Amino acid sequence: MDILFLLVPMSVLLVFGLLALFHWALSDGQFDDLEREGERIFAADSSKLDAHQTPP
Amino acid sequence: MTTAAPALAALDDPFEQARYTTWRQDAEGARVATSHFQLSGLVCAACAGLIEEALMHEAGVRGASVNYASRRASVRWDPALTRPSRLIAAVDTAGYGAAPDWAEPARALRQREQRAALWRLFVAAFCMMQVMMYAAPAYVAAPGEIAPDLLRLLRWASWLLCLPVLLFSAGPMFRDAWHGLRRGRIGMDLPVVIGLLVAFGASSVATFAPGSGGEVYFDTVAMFVCLLLIARFVALRAGHRVAATLDDALAQQPSTVERLGADGASATVALREVRIGDLLRVRAGEAFAVDGPIVDGQTRVDEALLTGESRPLARAAGDQALAGSLNLDAPVTQRAERLGADTRRDGVIALMRDALTQRPPLLAAADRFAAPFLWGVLLLAAGAGAVWSIIDPPRALWVAVSVLIVTCPCALSLAAPSALLAAAGKLARHGVLVRRLGALEALAGIDRIVFDKTGTLTEDRLTLAAVHLLDPTLDAAVLHAAASALAAHSTHPLARTLAASSAPQGRWTHVVEQAGRGIQGEAPDGCVWRLGALAWVAPTLAPTLDAALWFGWGGRAAVAFSFDESPRADAQSALAALRQAGVEVALLSGDAPERVARIATQLAIADAQGGATPEHKLERIAAAQREAHRVAMVGDGLNDAPVIARADVSFAFAHGSALTQSSADFILLGARVGDVVVAHTIAKRALRVLRQNLGWAALYNLVCVPLALAGLFPPWAAGLGMALSSMGVLLNALRI
Repeated sequence: MDILFLLVPMSVLLVFGLLALFHWALSDGQFDDLEREGERIFAADSSKLDAHQTPP
Repeated sequence: MTTAAPALAALDDPFEQARYTTWRQDAEGARVATSHFQLSGLVCAACAGLIEEALMHEAGVRGASVNYASRRASVRWDPALTRPSRLIAAVDTAGYGAAPDWAEPARALRQREQRAALWRLFVAAFCMMQVMMYAAPAYVAAPGEIAPDLLRLLRWASWLLCLPVLLFSAGPMFRDAWHGLRRGRIGMDLPVVIGLLVAFGASSVATFAPGSGGEVYFDTVAMFVCLLLIARFVALRAGHRVAATLDDALAQQPSTVERLGADGASATVALREVRIGDLLRVRAGEAFAVDGPIVDGQTRVDEALLTGESRPLARAAGDQALAGSLNLDAPVTQRAERLGADTRRDGVIALMRDALTQRPPLLAAADRFAAPFLWGVLLLAAGAGAVWSIIDPPRALWVAVSVLIVTCPCALSLAAPSALLAAAGKLARHGVLVRRLGALEALAGIDRIVFDKTGTLTEDRLTLAAVHLLDPTLDAAVLHAAASALAAHSTHPLARTLAASSAPQGRWTHVVEQAGRGIQGEAPDGCVWRLGALAWVAPTLAPTLDAALWFGWGGRAAVAFSFDESPRADAQSALAALRQAGVEVALLSGDAPERVARIATQLAIADAQGGATPEHKLERIAAAQREAHRVAMVGDGLNDAPVIARADVSFAFAHGSALTQSSADFILLGARVGDVVVAHTIAKRALRVLRQNLGWAALYNLVCVPLALAGLFPPWAAGLGMALSSMGVLLNALRI
């Protein structure tokens, strides 16, 4: 059980790390417009097919 | 580059720019601008990509992102290489329209607010989950099963993760409570804040003074803050949606227009330079900038934001087009008749702003009781803590915390405004503006509705009533068709009605219209026919018929047309629906009794009276009220102001620019009697939801406060119950 004395502090640090990550994503505007990426498929210059895919 | 250049150059003015552009320094220290534009002409999501591409090809553009759903673009550009006018020209060349987005600052503010709220909520939720993890072993383990050192480590970890929840996520609550205290007022947040501080303080003591042997409540604190923030986030989103609707209405107006000169040449000018009488060209996909009749062209328009009419409406020469409506099909020419604040659109916006910022009397009354109620809560919690410290000292603290949390009057304070605002929002989407939120309550209880006739139950415009053949040697149908063809050249209301009443046949040349008299044209056989007033068509004929338009040639009238008003298309079904809802219908008009009787027969209204003066109308309504009837009045809102003020509830049809002068409680923007029925139904539903909400919130407190006082309600359950009751109230209101 001694390992918990290492794991619990580590989990606290992990939480702060993840919070920082989410803050970066939020302030970068990733949650402002949730439809845009879905509409990208309609764009004229959408990315090329992957090598193993065949056009319909 | 284009004729647009001089007017667009005005947009490059630093002061104008500042209204839709923000500045930032890039990595090399150069200034980069971000401008926001409102786009027009987009038909599908792929258009967004085309506009982005067009912008990116422009020299000096660092980045462009186009949102199809909101029809907005934001462009990052280098001030050394380009200007906003060039960006707009680039979008123009690609075949779309772009205008500076003035509403951007307000939207950016909302976005910041939402980001901040989401961030606070996320911190609270994430830390809460982890604190729960640390708390779980203490709940499931038997006493003494966990080593004291480990238990202390878990408590320290919980304490550390609880700090951001309390200091950051709950920050606004502490700030509000503190501001209230400094102004000597006790706010809703105070009991919550005291509960949080007591729980956190006691838990901190238990954590860092191991000898004290107290319990820790970090999980409760984190969960309570998280649940409260969820409820507030939902409320924030609902408020933002209403504000965004308003912004959309505001944004749908171009800042520049295409003005046609006397020689037919067009020039793009700023909207503020337009004068009454100017001819403006409005292309397909653009919004109309002013109110006025269409003088050339034929199209369909979308007036959804102004009248709630979701279907496209056909508009041809002579029809009114409203500022803020969208031209869908084809380019048309419009004559400016009303500008700026006189337009219907500006009236609607002013009314919406008014309605959204007022506090109904119901809420004002609730505010008066808030302070004594909150004092009661604090005393109750203190009393419960004191009593329990004698009975069972270890439980005293959490009983007090439970009482503070469980009585948080969030649900009670949300019950009425959420229901009334949801109803007002729904009505606005149907084209009914609520001027007085309190009137919704009165509307739900009406049992009699009095209609005015002209322009209320009947159409604004007349319909063809009869064709009188004066020259028996000719065929009435042929003459009617020929007159229709000639009438189609005119924009006079009667001529337009005639033109629409029959399939036009025949070709007219040398058509001349004389204002106030009529229109004349040359038939293929060389005869000059006239259509218009009797004195102009046949000066010698004695007026024996009650006809408005005469048609003939060589000073002789061949046929005459008489017109009459007709009931609105949906009047019959709307009145039936009202009767079914248990509301008596009456007709009270100042018009001639025989005309009123005719309409009353058509619509099967038993209680109809014509020739009523305003005093008479007032007396009728007062008499009904003395018999304990609750009366709604539907009028045109201008001529019968005292009657409208006297009635319990009043509706007015919006007539042009007179919108804001009307004193009615509800403004009907569309030309539909059915909207009265819709408003009545929604008001009844809103009142039902409001009662449910109040009842539910009161019941919740009645049940839970005794439980908390008796020590049967742990703080976590109190937090859960409080949040669930608030959410229930909000979701119930969204049902309306």
